[in-house]
Amino acid sequence: MAINPGYFIRETISSFRRNWVMSLVAVSIIYISLLLVGAFFLTSSVLNTIVSSFEAKVSVQVFVKDGAVPADVEALQANIQKIPNVKSIAYVTKDQALARFKERTKNSPQLVEQLRGNPLPASVEVALVDPRQVQTVVNAIVKDPLLAKVVKNPANPTQSDIRYGQNVVDNLFKATGVIRIFAAAFLILLLLVSLVLIGNTIRLAIFARRREIGIMRLVGASNWFIRTPFLLEGVLQSLVGSILAILTLLAAQAVIVPWLQDNLKFLPVTIAGATFAQLAGLLVLSGVLIGLLGSGTAVRRYLKV
Amino acid sequence: MISMKNVSKIYVPDKPPALSEVDCEIAQGEFVFIVGHSGSGKSTFIRLLLRELLPTSGQITVANQDVIHMKNAKIPFLRRNIGCVFQDFKLLPNKTSYENVAYALEVIGKSRHVIATQVPEVLRLVGLEEKTDSYPDELSGGEQQRVSIARAFVNRPPLLLADEPTGNLDPATSLGIMSLLNRINKTGTTVLVATHDREMVDSMRKRVIALENGKIIRDQSRGVYGYGD
Repeated sequence: MAINPGYFIRETISSFRRNWVMSLVAVSIIYISLLLVGAFFLTSSVLNTIVSSFEAKVSVQVFVKDGAVPADVEALQANIQKIPNVKSIAYVTKDQALARFKERTKNSPQLVEQLRGNPLPASVEVALVDPRQVQTVVNAIVKDPLLAKVVKNPANPTQSDIRYGQNVVDNLFKATGVIRIFAAAFLILLLLVSLVLIGNTIRLAIFARRREIGIMRLVGASNWFIRTPFLLEGVLQSLVGSILAILTLLAAQAVIVPWLQDNLKFLPVTIAGATFAQLAGLLVLSGVLIGLLGSGTAVRRYLKV
Repeated sequence: MISMKNVSKIYVPDKPPALSEVDCEIAQGEFVFIVGHSGSGKSTFIRLLLRELLPTSGQITVANQDVIHMKNAKIPFLRRNIGCVFQDFKLLPNKTSYENVAYALEVIGKSRHVIATQVPEVLRLVGLEEKTDSYPDELSGGEQQRVSIARAFVNRPPLLLADEPTGNLDPATSLGIMSLLNRINKTGTTVLVATHDREMVDSMRKRVIALENGKIIRDQSRGVYGYGD
């Protein structure tokens, strides 16, 4: 009395086709909800890259006075390199500083013309692993006895000789933190709302067929024999809906991301392939799970004949 | 085959019971008519045997199984031994005649090959070979009833219950259905028919159980429809 698994597949597909109005309703609700979730997921991932790029700009610059002993500067660099949370350091010579200044002001060349000689100091640039820890790193540099030999104003180095955007940093991190929390909370809320919506739609579709379930029971069908095609149908609806949503997002992304890159050149607007794969996985998995759960709980209610 | 002991069924408290203290025994291979006016309890009688309903009190045994204390998971196995022709047909609306009949075989795990040979045969027997691919809403009441009959005995159950199987049929078709039920009975199947078709009951001369207001008022072998009306 082995039941042919082919039976369930045929049964699922034919039921999907014959109840096409309800199937269409279910698929479109799933499609729209998952599309919204996906669109917001991608938006917040772009937002996150932008926020991170701002945070990454936080670095420490130590200005070296003209005429500092090169051996002292090198020793100081070696010490800074040893401070925890320092990612890398770079020495910028006076000439390099001037070249950068010229590059930055190339639209108004008269600025450079007015310079006599090279008034720009050399500097040590310190990049950080976690920009949030910038104050700790600065404190460590200030404590280094070599610093006094290298900078112009050893009595109070943080006034002009060490620059790290003291005032900006705190506010920036407050702002980025709020943006991140808000985005995550909204995404979770959106996901919950769409899961409830999808679950209810599937349950409605089954409610419309509760009489059929009763009839199946009366002609001797066992519970799992009745349930399996309904479960597979819920999964099929979710699969179709989520795949359509992913395809739409893929197409929209291909149009919108280049446009944003063109119009917002100063911002890093990109969506990593891994992010998209993650999203696709999330959508398909949550869709299928809720399809199973929704149809499973709904069918059970009508199996009591 | 069937045993009812002191069975009562009350749908609404404080109203007269649908069945009251019914006792009866039906042996294997019998052909029994249950007659009575509408509201006399015929359908309740049938639905209790199928375990679609539970009695308010009393004992029911069908095919040596205690129907009342049966676990939910066991019910499908009971029903596979009972073919039932429903008064309201109970066909699956999204399935064709063929698929509705085939469903009764699919639930017991018959192969597609077996289904493909048995279903057309049964549909021919009830005169629906032309309508195999029609959906229930494309069939007349009589045709739907015949699909229901075909589904009830396609898996050759030892017990066949029929609730008004000729209620929607013209006299010629009714006669055909009754002789079909008779033939099914001849192969050893116990047949129980609830009806108020007087001519049918009088011409067949089978055992008759008459119900009135939920009580058995007459139980005679080779009986007639009775009632003065």
